[in-house]
Amino acid sequence: MILKIENVIKRFNNHLALDYLSLEVNKGEVIGLLGPNGAGKTTCIKSIVGLLSVDEGEIIVFDMKQDGKNQKIKSKIGFVTQEITIYEDMTAKENLAFFGSLYGLKKTELESRINEVAKIIGLEDRLNDRPKHFSGGMQRRLNIGCSILHNPELLIMDEPTVGIDPQSRNYILDFVKKIAAEGTTVIYTSHYIEEVEAVASRIYIMDQGHVIASGTLKELIARIKGDSHILVDVKIAREDKKDELLALTDVKEVVIKDNQYHIIVPGGISIIDKIVSILAPLGIVNVNSKQPTLEDVFLTLTGKQLRDEVN
Amino acid sequence: MLKFYILRSSRDIFGHLILILLPILLISFFSYINSSYNIGAITPVLTIGFALTFQIYGSAISFETLGQDFLSPIRNRLLATPVNPVKVVLSILFSGIIVSFLQTFVILMFSITILDIKFNNLFLILLVMLISVIFNQLFGTLILFLSKNVKTANSVTTLYGIAAPILTGLYFPLPDNIITNLFEKYLTPMALAQTAILGIIDNNLKNFIIGIIPLIILSVILFLLIKLLSKKVIL
Repeated sequence: MILKIENVIKRFNNHLALDYLSLEVNKGEVIGLLGPNGAGKTTCIKSIVGLLSVDEGEIIVFDMKQDGKNQKIKSKIGFVTQEITIYEDMTAKENLAFFGSLYGLKKTELESRINEVAKIIGLEDRLNDRPKHFSGGMQRRLNIGCSILHNPELLIMDEPTVGIDPQSRNYILDFVKKIAAEGTTVIYTSHYIEEVEAVASRIYIMDQGHVIASGTLKELIARIKGDSHILVDVKIAREDKKDELLALTDVKEVVIKDNQYHIIVPGGISIIDKIVSILAPLGIVNVNSKQPTLEDVFLTLTGKQLRDEVN
Repeated sequence: MLKFYILRSSRDIFGHLILILLPILLISFFSYINSSYNIGAITPVLTIGFALTFQIYGSAISFETLGQDFLSPIRNRLLATPVNPVKVVLSILFSGIIVSFLQTFVILMFSITILDIKFNNLFLILLVMLISVIFNQLFGTLILFLSKNVKTANSVTTLYGIAAPILTGLYFPLPDNIITNLFEKYLTPMALAQTAILGIIDNNLKNFIIGIIPLIILSVILFLLIKLLSKKVIL
Protein backbone atom coordinates (compact mmCIF):
# COMPACT_ATOMS: atom_id res chain seq x y z
CA MET A 1 0.00 0.00 0.00
CA ILE A 2 1.31 3.45 -0.98
CA LEU A 3 -0.97 5.58 1.15
CA LYS A 4 -3.21 5.00 4.13
CA ILE A 5 -5.26 7.77 5.72
CA GLU A 6 -6.93 6.71 8.93
CA ASN A 7 -9.58 8.68 10.81
CA VAL A 8 -7.98 12.02 10.08
CA ILE A 9 -9.45 15.17 11.56
CA LYS A 10 -8.36 18.64 10.49
CA ARG A 11 -9.91 21.80 11.85
CA PHE A 12 -9.47 25.41 10.74
CA ASN A 13 -10.70 27.35 13.77
CA ASN A 14 -14.30 26.15 14.11
CA HIS A 15 -14.52 24.68 10.63
CA LEU A 16 -14.09 20.93 10.36
CA ALA A 17 -12.27 20.45 7.05
CA LEU A 18 -11.53 16.72 7.42
CA ASP A 19 -13.96 14.71 9.49
CA TYR A 20 -12.67 11.21 10.30
CA LEU A 21 -11.36 10.86 6.76
CA SER A 22 -10.09 7.41 5.84
CA LEU A 23 -8.85 6.18 2.49
CA GLU A 24 -6.29 3.84 1.01
CA VAL A 25 -4.29 3.89 -2.19
CA ASN A 26 -2.50 0.87 -3.60
CA LYS A 27 0.55 0.88 -5.81
CA GLY A 28 -0.21 1.49 -9.48
CA GLU A 29 -3.75 2.76 -8.93
CA VAL A 30 -5.17 5.94 -10.41
CA ILE A 31 -7.44 7.34 -7.74
CA GLY A 32 -10.07 9.86 -8.73
CA LEU A 33 -10.96 12.21 -5.90
CA LEU A 34 -14.31 13.88 -6.44
CA GLY A 35 -16.16 16.33 -4.30
CA PRO A 36 -17.83 19.73 -4.37
CA ASN A 37 -16.00 22.86 -3.21
CA GLY A 38 -15.42 22.66 0.52
CA ALA A 39 -15.57 18.85 0.49
CA GLY A 40 -12.02 18.74 1.82
CA LYS A 41 -10.20 17.51 -1.31
CA THR A 42 -7.48 20.15 -1.26
CA THR A 43 -7.04 19.85 2.53
CA CYS A 44 -6.73 16.09 2.04
CA ILE A 45 -4.12 16.52 -0.70
CA LYS A 46 -2.15 19.12 1.26
CA SER A 47 -2.11 16.78 4.25
CA ILE A 48 -0.80 13.90 2.12
CA VAL A 49 1.94 16.11 0.65
CA GLY A 50 2.85 17.36 4.12
CA LEU A 51 1.84 20.98 3.68
CA LEU A 52 -0.71 20.72 6.49
CA SER A 53 -0.48 18.89 9.78
CA VAL A 54 -3.56 16.98 10.93
CA ASP A 55 -5.20 17.35 14.34
CA GLU A 56 -6.07 13.70 14.85
CA GLY A 57 -5.58 10.45 12.99
CA GLU A 58 -2.67 9.30 10.92
CA ILE A 59 -1.38 9.56 7.37
CA ILE A 60 1.02 6.82 6.33
CA VAL A 61 2.84 7.34 3.04
CA PHE A 62 5.28 4.70 1.76
CA ASP A 63 5.03 3.04 5.19
CA MET A 64 6.24 6.24 6.87
CA LYS A 65 4.25 8.65 9.01
CA GLN A 66 3.65 11.95 7.25
CA ASP A 67 4.63 14.72 9.64
CA GLY A 68 5.49 17.32 7.01
CA LYS A 69 9.20 17.06 7.72
CA ASN A 70 9.98 13.66 6.27
CA GLN A 71 12.16 14.41 3.25
CA LYS A 72 12.11 10.75 2.12
CA ILE A 73 8.35 10.98 1.62
CA LYS A 74 8.60 14.33 -0.15
CA SER A 75 11.27 13.03 -2.52
CA LYS A 76 8.92 10.25 -3.69
CA ILE A 77 5.89 12.48 -4.30
CA GLY A 78 5.23 14.71 -7.29
CA PHE A 79 2.72 17.48 -6.63
CA VAL A 80 0.90 19.19 -9.50
CA THR A 81 -0.65 22.28 -7.96
CA GLN A 82 -4.07 23.57 -8.91
CA GLU A 83 -2.58 26.96 -9.78
CA ILE A 84 0.13 27.31 -12.39
CA THR A 85 3.23 27.51 -10.21
CA ILE A 86 6.07 28.15 -12.61
CA TYR A 87 8.33 31.15 -13.09
CA GLU A 88 7.15 33.16 -16.08
CA ASP A 89 10.39 35.10 -16.42
CA MET A 90 12.53 31.95 -16.61
CA THR A 91 12.64 29.67 -19.67
CA ALA A 92 10.85 26.31 -19.66
CA LYS A 93 14.24 24.61 -19.39
CA GLU A 94 15.30 26.79 -16.44
CA ASN A 95 12.01 26.01 -14.69
CA LEU A 96 12.49 22.28 -15.19
CA ALA A 97 16.14 22.53 -14.09
CA PHE A 98 15.26 24.45 -10.93
CA PHE A 99 12.50 22.14 -9.75
CA GLY A 100 14.57 19.10 -10.71
CA SER A 101 17.47 20.41 -8.65
CA LEU A 102 15.18 20.79 -5.62
CA TYR A 103 14.70 17.01 -5.79
CA GLY A 104 18.45 16.47 -5.84
CA LEU A 105 18.95 15.86 -9.57
CA LYS A 106 22.39 16.90 -10.74
CA LYS A 107 24.04 17.84 -14.05
CA THR A 108 23.96 14.82 -16.43
CA GLU A 109 20.93 13.15 -14.87
CA LEU A 110 19.09 16.47 -14.71
CA GLU A 111 19.92 17.27 -18.32
CA SER A 112 18.70 13.90 -19.55
CA ARG A 113 15.53 14.05 -17.44
CA ILE A 114 14.76 17.56 -18.76
CA ASN A 115 14.92 16.22 -22.33
CA GLU A 116 12.77 13.20 -21.44
CA VAL A 117 10.17 15.25 -19.61
CA ALA A 118 10.11 17.90 -22.37
CA LYS A 119 9.13 15.13 -24.81
CA ILE A 120 6.49 13.76 -22.43
CA ILE A 121 4.84 17.18 -22.04
CA GLY A 122 5.31 18.05 -25.71
CA LEU A 123 7.49 21.10 -25.17
CA GLU A 124 10.78 19.84 -26.59
CA ASP A 125 10.80 22.61 -29.21
CA ARG A 126 9.94 25.34 -26.70
CA LEU A 127 12.48 24.63 -23.96
CA ASN A 128 14.28 27.93 -24.43
CA ASP A 129 11.11 30.03 -24.48
CA ARG A 130 9.63 31.75 -21.46
CA PRO A 131 6.24 30.50 -20.25
CA LYS A 132 4.76 34.00 -20.40
CA HIS A 133 4.62 33.45 -24.17
CA PHE A 134 2.92 30.04 -23.76
CA SER A 135 -0.78 29.22 -24.10
CA GLY A 136 -2.67 28.19 -20.96
CA GLY A 137 -2.44 24.55 -22.00
CA MET A 138 1.32 24.71 -22.52
CA GLN A 139 1.77 26.38 -19.13
CA ARG A 140 -0.31 23.59 -17.55
CA ARG A 141 1.89 20.98 -19.23
CA LEU A 142 5.03 22.69 -17.98
CA ASN A 143 3.42 22.82 -14.53
CA ILE A 144 3.09 19.04 -14.70
CA GLY A 145 6.58 18.61 -16.13
CA CYS A 146 8.10 20.41 -13.15
CA SER A 147 6.48 17.79 -10.89
CA ILE A 148 7.70 14.64 -12.62
CA LEU A 149 11.41 15.28 -13.20
CA HIS A 150 12.36 13.13 -10.24
CA ASN A 151 10.24 10.19 -11.41
CA PRO A 152 7.85 10.29 -8.43
CA GLU A 153 6.30 7.04 -7.24
CA LEU A 154 3.15 8.92 -6.27
CA LEU A 155 1.89 11.79 -8.42
CA ILE A 156 -0.78 14.01 -6.91
CA MET A 157 -2.64 16.16 -9.42
CA ASP A 158 -4.93 18.83 -8.02
CA GLU A 159 -7.31 19.98 -10.76
CA PRO A 160 -4.59 19.86 -13.44
CA THR A 161 -6.83 20.84 -16.36
CA VAL A 162 -8.52 24.00 -15.07
CA GLY A 163 -8.96 26.59 -17.80
CA ILE A 164 -7.37 24.82 -20.73
CA ASP A 165 -8.40 23.87 -24.26
CA PRO A 166 -9.79 20.38 -25.04
CA GLN A 167 -6.64 19.42 -26.96
CA SER A 168 -4.37 20.09 -23.98
CA ARG A 169 -6.88 18.37 -21.69
CA ASN A 170 -6.74 15.22 -23.81
CA TYR A 171 -2.95 15.47 -23.81
CA ILE A 172 -2.92 15.54 -20.01
CA LEU A 173 -5.41 12.68 -19.71
CA ASP A 174 -3.32 10.57 -22.10
CA PHE A 175 -0.27 11.46 -20.04
CA VAL A 176 -1.95 10.24 -16.83
CA LYS A 177 -2.93 6.95 -18.50
CA LYS A 178 0.62 6.54 -19.80
CA ILE A 179 2.44 7.10 -16.51
CA ALA A 180 -0.10 4.92 -14.72
CA ALA A 181 0.63 2.16 -17.22
CA GLU A 182 4.32 2.60 -16.40
CA GLY A 183 3.58 1.99 -12.71
CA THR A 184 3.23 5.46 -11.20
CA THR A 185 0.45 5.77 -8.64
CA VAL A 186 -1.75 8.82 -9.28
CA ILE A 187 -4.23 10.74 -7.18
CA TYR A 188 -6.30 12.91 -9.49
CA THR A 189 -8.84 15.52 -8.41
CA SER A 190 -11.10 17.27 -10.87
CA HIS A 191 -14.40 19.05 -11.20
CA TYR A 192 -14.82 17.29 -14.51
CA ILE A 193 -16.42 13.92 -13.85
CA GLU A 194 -15.70 12.70 -17.39
CA GLU A 195 -11.98 13.19 -16.72
CA VAL A 196 -12.15 11.08 -13.59
CA GLU A 197 -14.21 8.51 -15.48
CA ALA A 198 -11.54 8.45 -18.18
CA VAL A 199 -8.47 7.96 -15.99
CA ALA A 200 -9.42 6.60 -12.58
CA SER A 201 -9.21 2.94 -11.69
CA ARG A 202 -10.94 3.70 -8.40
CA ILE A 203 -12.94 6.70 -7.23
CA TYR A 204 -13.44 8.33 -3.84
CA ILE A 205 -16.35 10.73 -3.47
CA MET A 206 -15.87 13.23 -0.66
CA ASP A 207 -18.32 15.57 0.97
CA GLN A 208 -18.10 17.60 4.17
CA GLY A 209 -14.65 16.31 5.02
CA HIS A 210 -15.15 12.60 4.67
CA VAL A 211 -15.52 9.86 2.09
CA ILE A 212 -19.16 9.15 1.31
CA ALA A 213 -18.57 6.50 -1.34
CA SER A 214 -15.71 4.69 -3.01
CA GLY A 215 -15.19 2.00 -5.59
CA THR A 216 -14.68 1.47 -9.26
CA LEU A 217 -16.89 3.32 -11.71
CA LYS A 218 -18.99 0.18 -12.20
CA GLU A 219 -19.39 -0.38 -8.47
CA LEU A 220 -20.47 3.20 -7.87
CA ILE A 221 -23.01 3.19 -10.67
CA ALA A 222 -24.35 -0.15 -9.44
CA ARG A 223 -25.07 1.51 -6.09
CA ILE A 224 -27.67 3.79 -7.65
CA LYS A 225 -28.82 1.55 -10.47
CA GLY A 226 -32.21 1.20 -8.82
CA ASP A 227 -32.86 4.93 -9.19
CA SER A 228 -34.58 6.61 -12.12
CA HIS A 229 -33.35 9.93 -13.44
CA ILE A 230 -36.02 12.16 -14.95
CA LEU A 231 -35.01 15.28 -16.83
CA VAL A 232 -37.65 17.93 -17.39
CA ASP A 233 -36.87 20.99 -19.50
CA VAL A 234 -39.06 24.02 -18.85
CA LYS A 235 -39.17 27.54 -20.25
CA ILE A 236 -38.12 29.23 -17.00
CA ALA A 237 -37.20 27.15 -13.94
CA ARG A 238 -38.18 28.34 -10.47
CA GLU A 239 -36.72 27.43 -7.08
CA ASP A 240 -40.11 27.14 -5.36
CA LYS A 241 -41.08 24.32 -7.72
CA LYS A 242 -38.01 22.41 -6.55
CA ASP A 243 -39.37 22.53 -3.03
CA GLU A 244 -42.75 21.31 -4.25
CA LEU A 245 -41.08 18.40 -6.03
CA LEU A 246 -39.01 17.52 -2.96
CA ALA A 247 -42.20 17.47 -0.93
CA LEU A 248 -43.37 14.46 -2.96
CA THR A 249 -42.66 11.36 -0.88
CA ASP A 250 -40.83 9.42 -3.62
CA VAL A 251 -38.51 12.20 -4.84
CA LYS A 252 -34.95 11.64 -3.55
CA GLU A 253 -33.22 14.67 -5.06
CA VAL A 254 -33.87 17.62 -7.38
CA VAL A 255 -31.26 19.79 -9.06
CA ILE A 256 -31.99 22.74 -11.33
CA LYS A 257 -29.54 23.54 -14.11
CA ASP A 258 -30.17 25.80 -17.10
CA ASN A 259 -33.97 25.55 -16.95
CA GLN A 260 -33.78 21.80 -16.53
CA TYR A 261 -35.02 19.88 -13.49
CA HIS A 262 -33.00 16.74 -12.77
CA ILE A 263 -35.19 14.57 -10.54
CA ILE A 264 -34.07 11.34 -8.91
CA VAL A 265 -36.74 8.86 -7.87
CA PRO A 266 -36.55 5.20 -6.82
CA GLY A 267 -36.83 2.79 -9.78
CA GLY A 268 -40.25 1.35 -10.48
CA ILE A 269 -42.13 4.30 -8.98
CA SER A 270 -44.59 5.92 -11.33
CA ILE A 271 -44.49 9.56 -10.42
CA ILE A 272 -44.15 11.29 -13.75
CA ASP A 273 -47.77 12.54 -13.79
CA LYS A 274 -47.27 14.28 -10.43
CA ILE A 275 -44.01 15.87 -11.64
CA VAL A 276 -45.64 17.07 -14.84
CA SER A 277 -48.54 18.59 -12.98
CA ILE A 278 -46.19 20.54 -10.68
CA LEU A 279 -43.98 21.79 -13.51
CA ALA A 280 -46.71 22.39 -16.12
CA PRO A 281 -47.21 26.07 -15.11
CA LEU A 282 -43.55 26.70 -16.06
CA GLY A 283 -44.12 25.53 -19.63
CA ILE A 284 -42.70 22.05 -20.12
CA VAL A 285 -40.50 21.81 -23.20
CA ASN A 286 -39.28 18.24 -22.89
CA VAL A 287 -39.40 15.22 -20.54
CA ASN A 288 -36.70 12.54 -20.62
CA SER A 289 -35.24 9.73 -18.55
CA LYS A 290 -31.65 8.44 -18.69
CA GLN A 291 -29.23 5.75 -17.54
CA PRO A 292 -27.24 6.68 -14.41
CA THR A 293 -23.69 7.98 -14.85
CA LEU A 294 -20.97 8.92 -12.37
CA GLU A 295 -22.45 12.41 -12.37
CA ASP A 296 -25.73 10.88 -11.18
CA VAL A 297 -23.89 8.94 -8.48
CA PHE A 298 -22.41 12.17 -7.28
CA LEU A 299 -25.75 13.92 -7.46
CA THR A 300 -27.53 11.17 -5.55
CA LEU A 301 -24.91 11.02 -2.83
CA THR A 302 -24.19 14.71 -2.33
CA GLY A 303 -27.32 16.40 -3.64
CA LYS A 304 -25.04 18.69 -5.64
CA GLN A 305 -23.98 18.92 -9.24
CA LEU A 306 -20.22 18.95 -9.41
CA ARG A 307 -19.81 21.26 -12.40
CA ASP A 308 -21.98 23.97 -10.85
CA GLU A 309 -19.47 24.33 -8.06
CA VAL A 310 -16.90 25.89 -10.35
CA ASN A 311 -19.27 28.44 -11.82
CA MET B 1 19.74 26.98 -6.10
CA LEU B 2 21.77 30.15 -5.52
CA LYS B 3 22.70 30.15 -9.21
CA PHE B 4 19.01 30.01 -10.15
CA TYR B 5 18.10 32.92 -7.90
CA ILE B 6 21.01 35.05 -9.14
CA LEU B 7 19.88 34.29 -12.68
CA ARG B 8 16.32 35.28 -11.76
CA SER B 9 17.43 38.54 -10.16
CA SER B 10 19.63 39.35 -13.15
CA ARG B 11 16.63 39.09 -15.53
CA ASP B 12 15.09 42.29 -14.16
CA ILE B 13 16.70 44.61 -16.68
CA PHE B 14 14.38 47.53 -15.84
CA GLY B 15 15.29 47.18 -12.16
CA HIS B 16 19.00 47.22 -12.96
CA LEU B 17 18.60 50.30 -15.14
CA ILE B 18 16.96 52.15 -12.26
CA LEU B 19 19.38 50.94 -9.59
CA ILE B 20 22.56 51.52 -11.63
CA LEU B 21 21.88 54.15 -14.30
CA LEU B 22 19.81 56.50 -12.15
CA PRO B 23 22.44 56.93 -9.38
CA ILE B 24 25.14 57.31 -12.03
CA LEU B 25 23.10 60.06 -13.71
CA LEU B 26 22.42 61.75 -10.36
CA ILE B 27 26.09 61.61 -9.33
CA SER B 28 27.09 63.09 -12.71
CA PHE B 29 24.38 65.76 -12.53
CA PHE B 30 25.13 66.89 -8.98
CA SER B 31 28.88 66.79 -9.67
CA TYR B 32 28.30 69.00 -12.72
CA ILE B 33 26.20 71.62 -10.90
CA ASN B 34 28.76 71.65 -8.10
CA SER B 35 31.69 71.78 -10.50
CA SER B 36 32.51 75.35 -9.51
CA TYR B 37 33.48 73.92 -6.12
CA ASN B 38 36.18 71.37 -5.53
CA ILE B 39 34.85 68.36 -7.53
CA GLY B 40 37.49 66.11 -6.02
CA ALA B 41 35.93 66.66 -2.60
CA ILE B 42 32.21 66.60 -3.50
CA THR B 43 31.94 63.71 -5.97
CA PRO B 44 33.21 61.01 -3.56
CA VAL B 45 30.55 62.13 -1.03
CA LEU B 46 27.88 62.09 -3.76
CA THR B 47 29.04 58.67 -4.95
CA ILE B 48 28.88 57.22 -1.46
CA GLY B 49 25.54 58.92 -0.74
CA PHE B 50 23.78 57.80 -3.90
CA ALA B 51 25.27 54.30 -3.78
CA LEU B 52 23.93 53.93 -0.22
CA THR B 53 20.55 55.44 -1.19
CA PHE B 54 19.98 53.05 -4.06
CA GLN B 55 20.97 50.09 -1.91
CA ILE B 56 17.79 50.85 0.05
CA TYR B 57 15.70 50.55 -3.12
CA GLY B 58 17.75 47.46 -4.00
CA SER B 59 16.30 45.71 -0.97
CA ALA B 60 13.35 44.91 -3.26
CA ILE B 61 15.53 42.30 -4.99
CA SER B 62 15.19 39.98 -2.00
CA PHE B 63 11.74 40.79 -0.69
CA GLU B 64 10.03 40.77 -4.07
CA THR B 65 11.50 37.33 -4.83
CA LEU B 66 10.53 36.11 -1.37
CA GLY B 67 7.02 37.47 -1.92
CA GLN B 68 6.75 35.74 -5.31
CA ASP B 69 7.90 32.45 -3.82
CA PHE B 70 6.36 32.35 -0.36
CA LEU B 71 3.32 34.62 -0.54
CA SER B 72 1.92 32.99 -3.68
CA PRO B 73 0.83 29.48 -4.69
CA ILE B 74 4.47 28.70 -5.62
CA ARG B 75 4.96 28.32 -1.86
CA ASN B 76 3.04 25.03 -1.92
CA ARG B 77 5.19 23.64 -4.69
CA LEU B 78 8.40 24.68 -2.92
CA LEU B 79 7.27 23.25 0.42
CA ALA B 80 6.26 19.99 -1.27
CA THR B 81 9.89 19.42 -2.30
CA PRO B 82 12.42 17.80 0.02
CA VAL B 83 14.46 21.02 0.21
CA ASN B 84 14.58 22.81 3.56
CA PRO B 85 12.66 26.09 3.01
CA VAL B 86 15.19 27.97 5.18
CA LYS B 87 17.78 27.06 2.53
CA VAL B 88 15.54 28.64 -0.12
CA VAL B 89 15.14 31.83 1.93
CA LEU B 90 18.90 32.03 2.50
CA SER B 91 19.56 31.52 -1.23
CA ILE B 92 17.17 34.35 -2.06
CA LEU B 93 18.84 36.61 0.51
CA PHE B 94 22.34 35.72 -0.71
CA SER B 95 21.42 36.34 -4.33
CA GLY B 96 19.83 39.69 -3.38
CA ILE B 97 22.98 40.66 -1.50
CA ILE B 98 25.26 39.66 -4.37
CA VAL B 99 23.22 41.46 -7.05
CA SER B 100 22.75 44.62 -4.95
CA PHE B 101 26.45 44.67 -4.05
CA LEU B 102 27.39 44.32 -7.75
CA GLN B 103 25.16 47.31 -8.51
CA THR B 104 26.97 49.32 -5.84
CA PHE B 105 30.31 48.14 -7.22
CA VAL B 106 29.39 49.35 -10.74
CA ILE B 107 28.44 52.78 -9.33
CA LEU B 108 31.76 53.08 -7.50
CA MET B 109 33.68 51.89 -10.57
CA PHE B 110 31.90 54.52 -12.66
CA SER B 111 33.07 57.28 -10.33
CA ILE B 112 36.60 55.88 -10.21
CA THR B 113 37.03 55.30 -13.94
CA ILE B 114 34.85 57.98 -15.56
CA LEU B 115 34.81 60.78 -12.99
CA ASP B 116 38.41 60.02 -12.01
CA ILE B 117 37.69 59.90 -8.29
CA LYS B 118 40.25 58.29 -6.04
CA PHE B 119 39.21 56.37 -2.94
CA ASN B 120 41.88 55.46 -0.46
CA ASN B 121 41.37 52.00 1.04
CA LEU B 122 38.76 50.93 -1.52
CA PHE B 123 38.64 47.43 -0.06
CA LEU B 124 37.46 48.72 3.32
CA ILE B 125 34.89 51.00 1.65
CA LEU B 126 33.53 48.01 -0.30
CA LEU B 127 33.36 46.07 2.96
CA VAL B 128 31.18 48.75 4.59
CA MET B 129 29.09 48.89 1.41
CA LEU B 130 28.62 45.13 1.67
CA ILE B 131 27.48 45.36 5.29
CA SER B 132 25.10 48.16 4.32
CA VAL B 133 23.74 45.99 1.47
CA ILE B 134 23.22 43.13 3.93
CA PHE B 135 21.41 45.46 6.33
CA ASN B 136 19.10 46.77 3.60
CA GLN B 137 18.25 43.32 2.20
CA LEU B 138 17.46 42.12 5.73
CA PHE B 139 15.46 45.27 6.48
CA GLY B 140 13.24 44.82 3.41
CA THR B 141 12.79 41.14 4.23
CA LEU B 142 11.80 41.92 7.81
CA ILE B 143 9.17 44.40 6.64
CA LEU B 144 7.84 41.77 4.22
CA PHE B 145 7.68 39.11 6.94
CA LEU B 146 5.95 41.50 9.34
CA SER B 147 3.40 42.75 6.81
CA LYS B 148 3.15 39.62 4.63
CA ASN B 149 2.58 42.05 1.80
CA VAL B 150 5.04 43.01 -0.96
CA LYS B 151 3.32 46.36 -1.58
CA THR B 152 3.68 47.35 2.07
CA ALA B 153 7.36 46.37 2.05
CA ASN B 154 7.81 48.44 -1.11
CA SER B 155 6.08 51.45 0.45
CA VAL B 156 8.08 51.29 3.69
CA THR B 157 11.47 50.88 1.98
CA THR B 158 10.62 53.62 -0.54
CA LEU B 159 9.69 55.96 2.30
CA TYR B 160 12.96 55.12 4.07
CA GLY B 161 14.81 55.54 0.75
CA ILE B 162 13.38 59.04 0.43
CA ALA B 163 13.87 60.10 4.06
CA ALA B 164 17.31 58.64 4.80
CA PRO B 165 19.33 60.57 2.16
CA ILE B 166 17.54 63.80 3.06
CA LEU B 167 18.43 63.26 6.74
CA THR B 168 22.08 62.64 5.81
CA GLY B 169 22.14 65.92 3.87
CA LEU B 170 22.70 64.30 0.48
CA TYR B 171 20.36 66.52 -1.55
CA PHE B 172 20.80 69.81 0.31
CA PRO B 173 22.67 71.04 3.41
CA LEU B 174 20.76 70.63 6.66
CA PRO B 175 20.56 73.39 9.32
CA ASP B 176 23.48 73.18 11.71
CA ASN B 177 22.03 72.05 15.04
CA ILE B 178 22.49 69.09 17.35
CA ILE B 179 19.42 67.16 16.12
CA THR B 180 20.19 67.42 12.41
CA ASN B 181 23.85 66.65 13.13
CA LEU B 182 22.81 63.48 14.96
CA PHE B 183 20.57 62.43 12.07
CA GLU B 184 23.25 63.31 9.55
CA LYS B 185 25.81 61.06 11.18
CA TYR B 186 24.25 58.43 13.40
CA LEU B 187 20.48 58.14 13.59
CA THR B 188 19.71 56.20 10.42
CA PRO B 189 21.45 53.04 9.19
CA MET B 190 22.37 54.91 6.02
CA ALA B 191 23.96 57.68 8.10
CA LEU B 192 25.96 55.08 10.05
CA ALA B 193 27.27 53.53 6.81
CA GLN B 194 28.12 56.98 5.44
CA THR B 195 29.88 57.95 8.68
CA ALA B 196 31.94 54.74 8.52
CA ILE B 197 32.91 55.28 4.87
CA LEU B 198 33.73 58.97 5.33
CA GLY B 199 35.80 57.86 8.33
CA ILE B 200 37.79 55.58 5.99
CA ILE B 201 38.19 58.36 3.43
CA ASP B 202 39.31 60.86 6.12
CA ASN B 203 41.49 58.26 7.89
CA ASN B 204 39.30 58.76 10.94
CA LEU B 205 39.26 55.39 12.74
CA LYS B 206 36.87 56.64 15.41
CA ASN B 207 34.15 57.55 12.88
CA PHE B 208 34.70 54.29 11.04
CA ILE B 209 34.10 52.29 14.23
CA ILE B 210 31.17 54.45 15.38
CA GLY B 211 29.52 53.83 12.01
CA ILE B 212 30.32 50.19 11.37
CA ILE B 213 29.74 48.58 14.79
CA PRO B 214 26.08 49.66 15.22
CA LEU B 215 25.42 48.74 11.59
CA ILE B 216 26.73 45.22 12.20
CA ILE B 217 24.74 44.93 15.44
CA LEU B 218 21.56 46.11 13.67
CA SER B 219 22.13 43.59 10.88
CA VAL B 220 22.54 40.76 13.39
CA ILE B 221 19.35 41.82 15.19
CA LEU B 222 17.46 41.92 11.86
CA PHE B 223 18.79 38.46 10.98
CA LEU B 224 17.64 37.04 14.30
CA LEU B 225 14.20 38.63 13.94
CA ILE B 226 13.87 37.24 10.42
CA LYS B 227 14.91 33.80 11.63
CA LEU B 228 12.24 34.01 14.30
CA LEU B 229 9.53 35.16 11.89
CA SER B 230 10.47 32.98 8.93
CA LYS B 231 8.94 29.81 10.40
CA LYS B 232 5.64 31.59 11.00
CA VAL B 233 5.56 33.19 7.57
CA ILE B 234 6.86 30.33 5.45
CA LEU B 235 5.56 27.19 7.10
